[in-house]
Amino acid sequence: MALGAQRRTELLRGVLDLCLLAVMDEGPAYGYEMTRRLRDRGLAIVGEGSIYPLLGRLERDGLVETYRAASDGGPPRKYYRPSSAGRLALGLGVSEWRAARDAVDAVLAPVKVEVAS
Amino acid sequence: MSDFVDQCRREWRRLGVPDPLADEMAADLASDLGEAEAEGVSAEELLGSSAFDPRSFAASWAAERGIIPEPPARVTRPRRPLVLVAFTALAALTLIVAALLLLTGQPKVSLVTTRSAHAGVLPAPAAPFFPPGTSRQVLHANTSAPVEWILLFLALVALGFAAWLWSNWGRSRPTSVST
Repeated sequence: MALGAQRRTELLRGVLDLCLLAVMDEGPAYGYEMTRRLRDRGLAIVGEGSIYPLLGRLERDGLVETYRAASDGGPPRKYYRPSSAGRLALGLGVSEWRAARDAVDAVLAPVKVEVAS
Repeated sequence: MSDFVDQCRREWRRLGVPDPLADEMAADLASDLGEAEAEGVSAEELLGSSAFDPRSFAASWAAERGIIPEPPARVTRPRRPLVLVAFTALAALTLIVAALLLLTGQPKVSLVTTRSAHAGVLPAPAAPFFPPGTSRQVLHANTSAPVEWILLFLALVALGFAAWLWSNWGRSRPTSVST
C-alpha cells in the first residue's frame, strides 16, 4: 500500500466509528448505504477498513439500535441508528476530534506544501 | 461474490456461530455485495483488504459482535535468556569446584615458623638449616594454590554479576499484554 493511502487508512481507523454514527444519525441506514453516504462525502473505505466488524462492535457496545426492514425493492436489510448512548458518544467523539484536528493544524500550519502541477 | 459469502459461512460454522446469526450476517453481506456490484463498486471498496481474506473477515465480524469469544490475548512471555542461564550455571559450577578443591585438597599455602631450637618441627630432610637461636618464617606454596583461589574469586564475581543481570532482566521484562 502506498504511503499516502496507508496514512489515510491509519487516520480513518480512529474516527471511522464516529463517521458511521454520524451518517446513521442522518437517518437509519444499512451497511452498504452507510458506505455510499461516506463515499458521497469523499470518504472511500479502501485499505484495511471494513465497516462490518465496526458495526458489530457498536451494536455490542449498545451504541446503535438495529431493526430489520425491507429496503427499496430489495430484500429485508438490517438498519442501524444511533442509540441515546451512541449519540452521546458521537458528541463526545466529535469534540475530541475537533480538538485533535485543531492542535495538529496548529503544528502543521507553518509547513509550506508545494503541489506538483 | 457468493464464493466470498460461502467462505464466510464456512468460517462461522467452524467457529460455532449460531445458524440464525450466521444466516442474518450472510444475507446482509450478500445483499450489500450485490448492491455494490450493481453500482460498479468493487468488493475491495466495500470490504477493504478483507475482500481478500474472507476467513479473517468473518472471524473478526463475529468476534466484534460478541457472538464468539475474542481470541485470547497473547501474554508476552519473555523467554529466559539462554546466555544468562548458561553464564549463571557456569559461574555456580566454578564456585562449587573451587570450593571443593579448597576444602578437600591439601593446604596449598602455609606459613611455617621454624625455630632452629625446636628441631622437631620439620622432618630433618626437609628442614632448612638455620643457625642456632634464630627463627625464620617459611612460606610453603604449591604452584596450583593461586589458581583455586582465583577461580573462587572469579566465580563469586561472576555470580554477583549474574545476580545483577537477573535483577535487571526481571525489571525490564514486559508485563503488557499484546493483542
